[in-house]
Amino acid sequence: MTELSHIRNFSIIAHIDHGKSTLADRFIQHCGGLSDREMESQVLDSMELERERGITIKAQSVTLMYQAQNGEEYQLNFIDTPGHVDFSYEVSRSLSACEGALLVVDAAQGVEAQSVANCYTAIEQGLEVLPLLNKMDLPQADPDTVKLEIEEIIGIEAEDACPVSAKTGLGIEDALEYLIKNIPAPEGDRAAPLQALIIDSWFDNYLGVVSLVRVTQGTLRKRDKFIVKSSGKQHQADMVGVFTPRRTETAALVAGEVGFIVAGIKDIKGAPVGDSLISVAHPDTPALPGFKKAKPQVYAGIFTVSSDDYEDFRDALGKLTLNDASLFYEPETSDALGFGFRCGFLGMLHMEIIQERLEREYNLDLITTAPTVIYEIVTKDDSVINVDNPSKLPDVGDIQEMREPIARCTILTPQEFLGNIITLCIDKRGSQVDLQYLGKQVQLIYDIPMAEVVLDFFDRLKSVSRGYASLDYGFHCFQAAPLSRLDVLINGDRVDALAVIVHRDHIQGRGRVLTEKMKELIPRQMFDVAIQAAVGGKIVARQTVKALRKNVTAKCYGGDATRKKKLLEKQKAGKKRMKQVGNVEIPQSAFLAVLQVDS
Amino acid sequence: MAKPCEHCATNLNASDIPLALYVHLPWCERKCPYCDFNSHEQFDSSLETGYIDALLTDLRQQLVSVGSRPLFSVFLGGGTPSLFSGASIARLLNGIDQIWSIGLTTEITMEANPGSAEASRFADYRSAGVNRLSLGIQSFADAQLMALGRVHDSAQAMQAIHLAKQHFDRFNLDIMHGLPGQKIETALDDLERAIDHSQGHVSWYQLTIEPNTTFWSRPPRLPNDDILTDIQDAGEARFLESGLTQYEVSAWASHQQMSQHNLNYWTFGDYIGIGAGAHGKITKENGSIIRTRRSRSPRDYLTGIAEGVPPHQQQLPQTELPVEFMLNALRLKNGVPASLFKANTGLELAVVEPQIEKLVANGLLSADTERIGTTDHGYRFLNDVVASFMDNGAR
Repeated sequence: MTELSHIRNFSIIAHIDHGKSTLADRFIQHCGGLSDREMESQVLDSMELERERGITIKAQSVTLMYQAQNGEEYQLNFIDTPGHVDFSYEVSRSLSACEGALLVVDAAQGVEAQSVANCYTAIEQGLEVLPLLNKMDLPQADPDTVKLEIEEIIGIEAEDACPVSAKTGLGIEDALEYLIKNIPAPEGDRAAPLQALIIDSWFDNYLGVVSLVRVTQGTLRKRDKFIVKSSGKQHQADMVGVFTPRRTETAALVAGEVGFIVAGIKDIKGAPVGDSLISVAHPDTPALPGFKKAKPQVYAGIFTVSSDDYEDFRDALGKLTLNDASLFYEPETSDALGFGFRCGFLGMLHMEIIQERLEREYNLDLITTAPTVIYEIVTKDDSVINVDNPSKLPDVGDIQEMREPIARCTILTPQEFLGNIITLCIDKRGSQVDLQYLGKQVQLIYDIPMAEVVLDFFDRLKSVSRGYASLDYGFHCFQAAPLSRLDVLINGDRVDALAVIVHRDHIQGRGRVLTEKMKELIPRQMFDVAIQAAVGGKIVARQTVKALRKNVTAKCYGGDATRKKKLLEKQKAGKKRMKQVGNVEIPQSAFLAVLQVDS
Repeated sequence: MAKPCEHCATNLNASDIPLALYVHLPWCERKCPYCDFNSHEQFDSSLETGYIDALLTDLRQQLVSVGSRPLFSVFLGGGTPSLFSGASIARLLNGIDQIWSIGLTTEITMEANPGSAEASRFADYRSAGVNRLSLGIQSFADAQLMALGRVHDSAQAMQAIHLAKQHFDRFNLDIMHGLPGQKIETALDDLERAIDHSQGHVSWYQLTIEPNTTFWSRPPRLPNDDILTDIQDAGEARFLESGLTQYEVSAWASHQQMSQHNLNYWTFGDYIGIGAGAHGKITKENGSIIRTRRSRSPRDYLTGIAEGVPPHQQQLPQTELPVEFMLNALRLKNGVPASLFKANTGLELAVVEPQIEKLVANGLLSADTERIGTTDHGYRFLNDVVASFMDNGAR
């Protein structure tokens, strides 16, 4: 058992691409957590999806034993954090298990906005933040300017920032020494009654619920009984241990440590993230402060292509919310798509990832409708309602005022892209709050409608700044705006699942581009398919998918029949992934056509 | 669709279902790049005798398990049957007649190439008993014939038609359209000449690129969908003026010239298939329906026959019967009598009632309850109509 004074719990705060995963791999390698042969690149990004996209979505931890230069052995618990702007909520969860954080900054690119926000979260939570300059092997590395930026933008001392290159291995040992000297050891009385915080929980098909916990006081041994504080339910720890990064059983988890626990909990709601585990003998032990629930910013309906999959879909969502409390869902019924769920997401990336996880891990064919933000509607009778679904918008006649959510956006960019970015912000209906020159960069603060931010703002920002600008945003306020619902009619019938809410100035443009895009996506059918965009009763744009003129196999005699039948079966299989709305077959992609509209 | 019971297949009366004979002669001088039929190069006339013996053995063997039904029609297909000499064809037809007597008016069709060597044998084929020819003209344009890899040219085509007229009352001209680089005018030129020279039967069909062909691996540049449909429309209009009636998707004829043998396929009749790669469809006396298939390679076929190997057989599951029936019957311009469904599948029409109702409601099937047939609109989208009878896809 490692003495408290020899434990260090830390996270790494870094922007995507600034090298967090590679650095983590180096740490694991240096401490011998895995043999070289086992060293699969980016060990911690274990979800298949994470590795493919090169991003971290879920918190993961690894426990490493480090032989320090002073001859003593330290237990390092590294809790990984997601780096994408959509996942700030996950970051604060990871940080709550730590006493310190390494701020990894690309020595060539400098500080970016998401890291700033995460650093503030870390500082607020009382963590020691240690700057680390990565990619020092690059010829364009400019450590002095970047140090200055760290001091000016984030406001932490950076003179002693540790220079490393995760790629070449330069400075890795120095970084580990720097870490054990400067990050405080955890505190906690190991003899006191058990108190542990659930940082993450996920469902394993063989083990049931597995939870990642930080023990703040006391000891949790294998076979100990404990209580989940919120439910009062008693469980027995079947297995406790750490990730090295392999799942490794230990005899106990003690105060100051981070590890996993399996307690035969089958109910996916049995061990919610943010809950506390306490000793059975001392049921009055107070709960630890949990996490602020993240508020979804983007809503979309998700439906199964085949209605037979509905039950499976519901179970899958249940399992996903266990370790993704930020995912919100409630049943929704659409005239066009049948039964499904209205889901709330932290952002677009979160939405894409949830859909992909549902399709991959649960083998579901899904249709996601155009995402929308939440609107505040003041009705004629002065009541205020929230609308997260365009088709639920009250009649225009009943609306006194529509208010849209405004995001406060902090953008950090090299000066040369300032003009492009200001143009983009204005284009997205933004209003400037602040502009400051800090080091080589400019910090811009804009208030921009959330709907514009979540749609494609981040991607556009990246493209107008050649990838250099960075963004952090959060909900700021609701603001009255002239908004309308843009309906889409397919062969004259309004398709509820295709409606979007747009600013009045954008009606024409959105309507036109949306119908054009849908025309490309809907295959030719037996009859003309009219695609119309309308506001109220007024058609603002129209496109027609011309009817297929024939679909007949020319020749067919006797023994041919078998072959022709196979051909038809193939044609039919191709249509399976389409949803029939009225008589019209609409492919999944068409429901998201609005996302491909950049006007 | 209601699931038909596996045990009630016996309401099929096999003896009421017409039984035809298909004979496959699997050699060609040269394989055409669009052809996915079972054909083989390197023909040698020394093969004829042995192959015909095998065909007759094949027929004897298969006929035993079918029970006694009259022979409805004979079709000699290929390959290029006209590579065989008149004497060989005579020996084949005599043999068939001895095993399974051929009636005086029984239609005996033979596919023939318009090459000069083949055309010179037309008279012999006629004396051998063939009473209908199907000529693979494909086009009257030399450039197109070359692109299609055909071994004849347009002059030979004309000569072949001339000879066919001398010796046969009934013959078909096979014409393709939608050929590489073809325009509406050139397609119509071919059709015009075919109608002019026909005896009252033209098969006019669009070139399609099938898997396992040269065109599949090296696709030619075909006209786009709109041009193809324009060709189709213009061609249909031209036929209408000509007085030939469309009776099947790709077949136009005057009444007495219609192919009895092909009509039997399209009305879901039975046929025995003999020869390398030949397919058959047989309703057994117990009411089950089987598909038979012989080895594709001539060598394997000959060995198999010598060893008395029966054809590969597969019973059609009852769930597949509706789509199999419709795949054929709906190809007929006027469809079929509704009673034929039960007569030739043994299933009650009720099993397909939901699909029929939906198709009628969508204007794709005719509302006439006495017949099963498409509307003009449904005829254009026959693949979609037929696909809705697939049991795994009904929505």
